[in-house]
This record gives sequence, C-alpha cells and structure tokens, in this order.
Amino acid sequence: MKPLSSICKSIFASAIAVSALTVSALAEYPEKPVTMIIPLGAGGSHDLNARVISSILPSYLGQPVIVKLMPGASGQTGTAAAANAAADGYTILFTHNFIDQLQQHVSKLPYDPNEDFVTVARTNYAAPSVIVKKDSEFADIDSILSYAKENPGKLRFGHSGNWGAFMVPGAMLFSKAGARPTLVPHKGGGPALQALLAGDVDVSMAFNSVIDSQAENVTPLVSVSPNTTIEGVPTTDEVGIPDVGEMGIMHRVVLAPAGVPEEALAKLRAAFAEMQEDKTYKRMLGKLGENTEFMDGEAYDAVRLKQSEEYGNLVRNLASN
Amino acid sequence: MLQELFEGLLLILRFDTLLMTGVGLILGILVGSLPGFTTVMAMAVLLPISFFLDPLVGIPFLVGVYKGGIYGGSIPAILVGIPGTGASVATTFDGPALAKKGKSRKALDMALYASVFGDATSSILTIFLIGPIALIAMRIGPPELAVVLALSMAIIATTASGSLAKGMVMLAIGMFLSLVGQDPIGAVNRFTFDIFAVQAGIDLLPMLIGLFAIPEILLAVESRISAAAKVNKPEGDPLSWQELKRSRRTILRSTFMGGAIGAIPGVGQVVAAFMGYAAAQKAAPDPETFGKGDLDGIAAPEAANNAVNGPTMVPLLTLGIPGDNITAILLGAFVAQGLRPGPQLFADQGPIVYALLGSMVIACLLLLVLGWIMIPVFARVVAIPRAYLVPLTLIFAVAGTYVYRSNPMDLVFLVVFGLFGYGARKLKFDVTPLVMGFILAPPLEYAIGQTLLLSQGDMFNYIVNERPVTLALLALIPVLLFFVFKNHLFAGAKGRPGAKPRARNVPTKGG
Repeated sequence: MKPLSSICKSIFASAIAVSALTVSALAEYPEKPVTMIIPLGAGGSHDLNARVISSILPSYLGQPVIVKLMPGASGQTGTAAAANAAADGYTILFTHNFIDQLQQHVSKLPYDPNEDFVTVARTNYAAPSVIVKKDSEFADIDSILSYAKENPGKLRFGHSGNWGAFMVPGAMLFSKAGARPTLVPHKGGGPALQALLAGDVDVSMAFNSVIDSQAENVTPLVSVSPNTTIEGVPTTDEVGIPDVGEMGIMHRVVLAPAGVPEEALAKLRAAFAEMQEDKTYKRMLGKLGENTEFMDGEAYDAVRLKQSEEYGNLVRNLASN
Repeated sequence: MLQELFEGLLLILRFDTLLMTGVGLILGILVGSLPGFTTVMAMAVLLPISFFLDPLVGIPFLVGVYKGGIYGGSIPAILVGIPGTGASVATTFDGPALAKKGKSRKALDMALYASVFGDATSSILTIFLIGPIALIAMRIGPPELAVVLALSMAIIATTASGSLAKGMVMLAIGMFLSLVGQDPIGAVNRFTFDIFAVQAGIDLLPMLIGLFAIPEILLAVESRISAAAKVNKPEGDPLSWQELKRSRRTILRSTFMGGAIGAIPGVGQVVAAFMGYAAAQKAAPDPETFGKGDLDGIAAPEAANNAVNGPTMVPLLTLGIPGDNITAILLGAFVAQGLRPGPQLFADQGPIVYALLGSMVIACLLLLVLGWIMIPVFARVVAIPRAYLVPLTLIFAVAGTYVYRSNPMDLVFLVVFGLFGYGARKLKFDVTPLVMGFILAPPLEYAIGQTLLLSQGDMFNYIVNERPVTLALLALIPVLLFFVFKNHLFAGAKGRPGAKPRARNVPTKGG
C-alpha cells in the first residue's frame, strides 16, 4: 500500500500537470464546454440525434457538449435564446430548416434567421414519404392528387404539427399539384401515424425507419426527396412534381450566432466534419435509421436563402386561398 | 404466450439487469425529488448510456429512471408541498398536512406502497390484456378523446372543490390562461400582446410551483418563524400494517381507475390522480378529513397515477407508436438497439417484449426495496428547523422553475402565480380547478379542433355515421353525472355536504 504522503504528492503533481495544460490551452477556442440549444422537446428525433452528437463530438472538439432543450412557440423560444447569446462559439443551435427558414414567414420574430445566424454544418437530412394504409382505395399518388383536385377539402391529410416536417412537404406537394386537401394537425409523428392506422385520416407522411417497421400496415406512394430512398417508390421529381424534393426534406442543421470569431467557426466546422468519419457516430445514426449525408456550412448557407424564398411563396400561396 | 412470457422473464433475471435497474431507480428518485427536474429530462440525459449497454440492461435502466422519477416527484409534494409535475398535485392536498402533524414518514411510506401496488398491478394486467388494450387504443380518436376530457373536467371541477361557483370561476380562469400563446390548430398567437416571451405560452411548472409552494412559504413567514420553530415536528413513525390495510379499498379502486384511464391514450396521469382522489373522498365514511391529512388522500392519487403507466406502454409495444414524451424516449432507446417496437417485433421476438414488460414489474419491486431504504433519509428533511427550511424551499422553488427550461419569463410567472395563489388562499378559493382547467383545456381544444377538421363542417353526421364510440360515450355522460351529483341532490335538505369550504384552503397556524 502506498503511503499517504506519496498519494498526496502524486495528486498534487497531476493537479499541476492539469493546470499547466489548461494554461497552455487558454489561448485557443474552445476552453470551456459548448452549449447546444435545441428548440424542441425531449424524446423527439432531434433530441435523439443531439444525444448521439453530444456523446461523439467532444472527442473532436476537445470540450464537452451540453444539450439544452428549450421548446416553445414552434421552436422560436430556443432560436431566440441562441440569437441573443454571445457570439463566442460557446452557444450553438441544433435546429431544422422549417424552424429556421419558415417561421419568419408566419410569425413576428425578434431575430432575422439569415442575418443573425451562420451555418456550422448540416449533419444529415430526413426525407419523408407519402403513406396510405395498406387497404386504402388509393394505389398511387396520381389517384390521390386527382381525387383531391376533384373534391376540394374532401381528402384528409394528417400531419405531425403546424409548419413541421410533414406539413410543409405535404402542403408543398398538394399545392404544386393544384390540389386542396384538409390538413389535420397531430401532436407529433406518433399520433399522426395512429390516426392513419385508425382510418381517421386518408393519407399521411412518415420517415423511412417508421415505414420499415410498419411495412405490414402502410404503403409508401412517393418520396419527398431529390433521390430514391426506398426501392420501388418514385420520388416527387419522378412523378412530375418538381422542387418539392429539394425543399421538402428536413435538414438537421447546426447554426452559430452571426459574428462568431472566424477561428471558433472554423474549429466548429472542422470538428463536425471530422465527426462524420467516426465509426461509432455512423453506427449509432444507422441504428436510429438516420443517414449521415453531411453538408458543410458554407454550402448550406446558400441552400438557406433559397429555402427562405420557397417557404415564403408557399405561405403566401396557402394564405391566398 | 405463457411460454414466451416465461422465456422473457428468464432473460431479465440477471444480475447486471437488476443492478442497472436499481441504479436507474436511485437516479430517478433523486432527480424526481428535485423540483424543476422532470422525469422526461432525466431520461433524455441518461438515454445515451443505454446506447452502449445490452438492450436487456439499457432499457430496464431507463425504465428504472422512469419509475424512480415518478415516485420521486411525490417526495417534495408531501414534505414541502411543491408538486414537481401535474401528476403529484393531488398528493399535495394531504401530504403537507400530514407532515405538519408529524406524520411525514407515514405519508412517504403510503405513497411508496400505493405507487408500487398501482404500478405493479397495472403492469401485470397489461401483460395479460395487451391485445384488448391495443384494440381500445385504436378506437380512441379525437372525437372520443374530446368527450372523455370534457367529462373528466366536469367531474373533477365539481367534486374537487367545495363551492361549485368558486370552482367554476377558477376552472374558467385556468382554461383562459391555457389559451395564451400560439393556438395549437392554426398556429396563430393569442393574448400575447405581441410580447415575444409570452408567445410560448404559460408553462405548467411555474404555475404549479407558484400556486402551491409560494403561498405555503408566505403563510409560513406570516405565522412567525420563531414561534413555528418551536413546534417543529419530527418525521414520526413508519406506516403500520393496520394503517395500510385500512387504505386497501382506496388503493384497489384507484389502481383500477388509473389502469382504465391509462388505456385511453391522451388522458394521462393528472386526470387519474384527481379522479382517484375524488372517488376516494366520495366513498369515504368521513370525507371531511380529506385535505386535513388523511392517509387515504395520499394512497388514492398515488395508486391512480402510477396505475396509468402499464397501459400507456401498449401503443408503443404493439404498434410502435409513442403516445407521450416518456414513451418517445423509450422508443429511441429501442430503436438505437436495433429493435423496432411494433407488430413485427411482437411476432418475431415475443420473449423480448415480455422481458421488457416484466422489467417494469421488477423495477416496481426494486423500487419498493430502495424506497424503503431511502425514505428515512428523505423524511429527515422535515427535521430541518423551519427557519432554514422555509428559505430553502424558496430557493428550490425559484431554482427549479428556472432550471426547467432556462426561460427568465417563467420566473415572472412564478411570482405572479405565487401572489395569486396567496390571495386565493386568503379568499378561500381552491386553486385546483384552475390547474385542472389549465392542464385539460389544451388537449380538449386540440381534440375539438381536429374533430372539426375531420368532420369537414358536418359534425352531426360525422359523429352519428362514423363514430359509434363517441355516441356511446356521449350517452354515458348523463348517467355518470347523475351518480356524481346524487349525493348533492339527496343531501339537499341537510345542506350540501360538499358546500363547506375545504380544509386545505385554511392555513394551519403554527404548523
């Protein structure tokens, strides 16, 4: 057994070593944990993605990542908090494109998404598909669209919440096709799926992982996606509805308040880019049924401007009818 | 099925599963007992741990956090009158009163036994009735939910409060407050006066802590700390077998009510707790002791709100559809392990599904043991001199409110509701209907809004032609209301027994 004094000595020595390390690191970002705000509640797919990121990213960033859930007002509460946080790189926002670029067209915001944020990374995206019940009278998307066109308001489209990941692509798809269904909101994807299975609504949307697990109950008709995601299921481009695939998918994006120091932004972008190659990260996201289609911050900033325009058109189009 | 059940049980009777369930329970109890930290939050933070564990260790671990968290919430409700969640509001009616009588140990014991019994029984029933419960869940859509919620609101508002008029006023205020913020169907801002911080609406937690904890603190200050410090009551004796036996009917009744409410998706623990309390009070030979520190007043809501847990797992396990945040997190844990709950999983890996249901029962039994060990420690809280306990409670109330979602506006709501609750106490208004209205109005509004959209403008024909279950429920309303008001009507000559102000409105001096 070691004598007490030598234990004390070794503790003391390691304390010095640690403090020396911190001193040398002082000059460089990051020198303390980074807070990642999520403008959504616990248990959603964003939360799950964030839990994976917060367990893997620290090995590339060199500091822990603290997940802070700030739900409320369709994501505006958390986004406003991030916009008001100091632009020092220690607060980042993990959001998605509908909160980021659509809310400005339907609500009065205390921030301007394109002025007040820059993109760190798009970690991945999720492409929803239009689904019907197995025993539905609709066999393909054309029959749904023609039914909806002939009977305005008769078709019931169940989605997961206003201006959310199913409502926006759904509304885009129907309005581009000139159809006008009744949009029925639900509190999340679970209740929306239940409503479809119970026959309360005629058509709904779901992500691939859910479609896989419900293979016996639902049929996917068309994927809102720029490229094929389910074998044998056409994309919106392929059935002749352009642009929806590009604009209707849900991008999971990491933003930082505008004005963040160049060096911190570069370090954050690099850490996220390196994380994409991590085996555990890939494996865990794979298990969650998510892809790892990374896009770097600068490339995605351009996408955001286009989204803003498209979503503005959609909202005006929906409001004018 | 029995064979699969047996195989399932064998899968989880392992040392590491039991150990991690126990660790989860302890973490859950600790987090649940801190106001402001919710069970959902604890589960979300601990979820990644389960990613790296064997499925039959990781998921029972989360189940442990869940059960521990729910039980933990009753601890501050009993000891200092702070309900951490809507589900433990009904526990604050008798909990603090018992603590003031020097019976906090008994109250904590009763909460533990009632919770464990309610939860274990409902979990076991769920294992055997999983098919029928799944069928019921599929029959409940927005119109049915709207009727059930409206009915619950009517029953709770009229029974939980003394004066019907005062109860209705508070209910209306609660319903109105729930409208503040974005409207759930059209996403339009209501009553926000263009103030951004109000757009997210008023949250339940600042309201609960404000209405229940702040008045207690103010009244304690009012009754002079120096005098109060002398009559500080210790935690008292543990619950005796006789006392537990006396509450057996209440616990059984609440368990079945809670289980039945749990089978209806979207209603939940809060309604179960209030319904259980109201039913126990109605059935009691001495209803006037309720709210003054009756052990039945602890047993009833605690058994009922925990009995909800079993059936709420059914839509997740049979269909892969999470009904609330907690089941959504559990779904995440399943998925990350490569298990996709749903009909497929049930058919292919029946034993695993039964193993997980079995782990819920095992978590309950472990909770009994761990709670029994931890209660004496928690009960010591009341032995802290009130001169320290009151400011400490205030610190926990404020910190808990802020920590919940880091929104400074919540602190403003805390203070406003605190003053409102204090005024209401002085004027002998019961704030419970306000909380009920606030909790139940949003889902009711949502369900009605969805029904309107689904009916496409023709509500009457929609319900008559397509919704037989709604029709049946609507027909039940007069029958149920008759039973509820029977006592009111027949006792008219003697003066309505429920008409006197409830004791919990009266501040107990020197307590």
